[in-house]
Amino acid sequence: MAAVAAGSRGRAALRLLRRRLIQAVPLMLGVVVINFCLIQLAPGSFLDLMTAENQVSDPATIELLRKTYGLDDPVWLQLMKYIWALLQLDFGFSYRQNMPVIQAISVHLPATLLLMVSSITLALAVGVAAGVVASVKVRTVWDSLVSIAAMFFFAAPSFWLGIMLIVLFSVKLGWMPVGGMATIGGVGGGIAGVLDILHHLILPTLALGLFYAAIYARVMRSSMLEVAQLDFVRTARAKGLSRNKVTVSHVLRNALLPVVTILGVQMGTVLAGSVVIESVFSWPGVGSLLFDSVSSRNYPVVLGIMVLGSLVVIAANIAVDLVYMWLDPRIEIR
Amino acid sequence: MALPRASTFQLSRFEFPARFARNRGALVGAVLIFLVALTAVLAPLLFPTDPLRIVGAPELWPGEDPDFPLGTDSLGRDILAMIVHGARATLLIGLCASAVATLIGVTIGAIAGYFGGWVDEIAMRAAELFQTIPNLIFVLTIVVILGSTLGNIVIAIGIVSWTSIARMTRAEFLALRDREFVQACRAMGMGDGGIILGEILPNALPPVIVLSSLVVAGAILFESAVSFLGLGDPNVASWGRLVGDGRQLIRSSWYICAIPGVAIMVTVLCLNLIGDGLNDALNPKLRDR
Repeated sequence: MAAVAAGSRGRAALRLLRRRLIQAVPLMLGVVVINFCLIQLAPGSFLDLMTAENQVSDPATIELLRKTYGLDDPVWLQLMKYIWALLQLDFGFSYRQNMPVIQAISVHLPATLLLMVSSITLALAVGVAAGVVASVKVRTVWDSLVSIAAMFFFAAPSFWLGIMLIVLFSVKLGWMPVGGMATIGGVGGGIAGVLDILHHLILPTLALGLFYAAIYARVMRSSMLEVAQLDFVRTARAKGLSRNKVTVSHVLRNALLPVVTILGVQMGTVLAGSVVIESVFSWPGVGSLLFDSVSSRNYPVVLGIMVLGSLVVIAANIAVDLVYMWLDPRIEIR
Repeated sequence: MALPRASTFQLSRFEFPARFARNRGALVGAVLIFLVALTAVLAPLLFPTDPLRIVGAPELWPGEDPDFPLGTDSLGRDILAMIVHGARATLLIGLCASAVATLIGVTIGAIAGYFGGWVDEIAMRAAELFQTIPNLIFVLTIVVILGSTLGNIVIAIGIVSWTSIARMTRAEFLALRDREFVQACRAMGMGDGGIILGEILPNALPPVIVLSSLVVAGAILFESAVSFLGLGDPNVASWGRLVGDGRQLIRSSWYICAIPGVAIMVTVLCLNLIGDGLNDALNPKLRDR
């Protein structure tokens, strides 16, 4: 029986995956069209944008770009060619890094993904734990403490929080590195290298993650209180299960659902937030690349980051949907 | 036309302020925001000279010189004067961006909720699209391509902030569009535009207004991040830019960074408290959640 159920769940997950992938296509198309509109809105020609600040004066290169992007064509044909180029992962060439844009971005992507994953993990762990404590000890001093802390971190700008963490833990106490992803000069590979990266990861993770921890704590608290009043919880208690067991196995699991929903909605915000945090901590991720490209008006990279960033968000959203389905067996494919 | 209020938020004119005032946090928030707004309005009277003018010795700590209660920055500019003038820029950008977001969100949400069908489908896909694009990256892209002017920043923040307002407006319209008073208007031959603007919208607005107070808070955080990165309007010294300017000196004078950040945090905190208070006052049922 259980095997049959597991098999049908697996098939349902596959169906969900397929449906989400199909839905992702118009979404990505929308991102690309918005990108294209921005290019059209910009002062100067597409060619100027694609070569700005790169000192491309070689007529052959300019002619090549002219041809690639079909600048003499009508706008709709240009859009088609732009989409076609992106489909082949041709985001243009970055003269600043002297490599294709896609390559420049993928070099920086892992660092950003690491920061995102660690921040979300921290936010979930701290937020869910704080929310559970607040709801179990509702209207006690613990509840108030969680509320006050959540209010504080929900209002603090992440970049400012990051700087204050540096002042306290790096400058005053000397416990943490000021920035970067690894000690300059290196500490060797292997476990020492991994620990070194983790050491550098702590402060940026706190600066980015605590804002989301504050949101999750508030949502978790109210959701726990709400679920605890539902009938099935009373039934479980009436069956003779202990309060703790009911809280953990019945209330917690159902109360997590709104948190997971919000997590999915906020994926783009987390990615965008890491841009600012990376600038504070000189973290060598996409944010640093974006900031550098924005300052040098390296448009192909900026636009490429927007497209690939949206792609990461869509992928993360699909993952969140699968988690949601796993948590809530009632969800079937509509 | 005197028709009964159909919103789920049925409160008398007197009940509402009393409920709001009973929420102590919201009251404190409202008072503080009023003070911040007052300072912003009175900034030219309080500090009539240019706040970016050098007036004293550089890097005076707060309290070191009674003339500069919050100290001076690396160039010897009065931090208190910069904070007071920065309040103008910060609040103005926050309010305008929130107004842009509310205008876009209410328009799209109302049309989607009222007409339903494929119109609704398209509108919700658009909302999904704008939630997918990493918001700050989008703002930075707009600002860098179209230029770092105040107007561009306000519009860019508005464009990334309208989705929650559209969803809320849509939900309200969905709940209201088939109520008796709307059907009565339709039976009387009233046009769609008249029903949307004159009948449903006034009933749908209260929760939307609550949400836009939270959008102001979000917009202030957005603007401060853009300015912190040095991409704000170069003619405007908002709080975020002050934090960014002080960044180089965190080893010797970290207060230069800390003070404007506290100003941002307190303002955002108060706006959130007001939003929570309004929410509680409008939905008494949800208060204990």
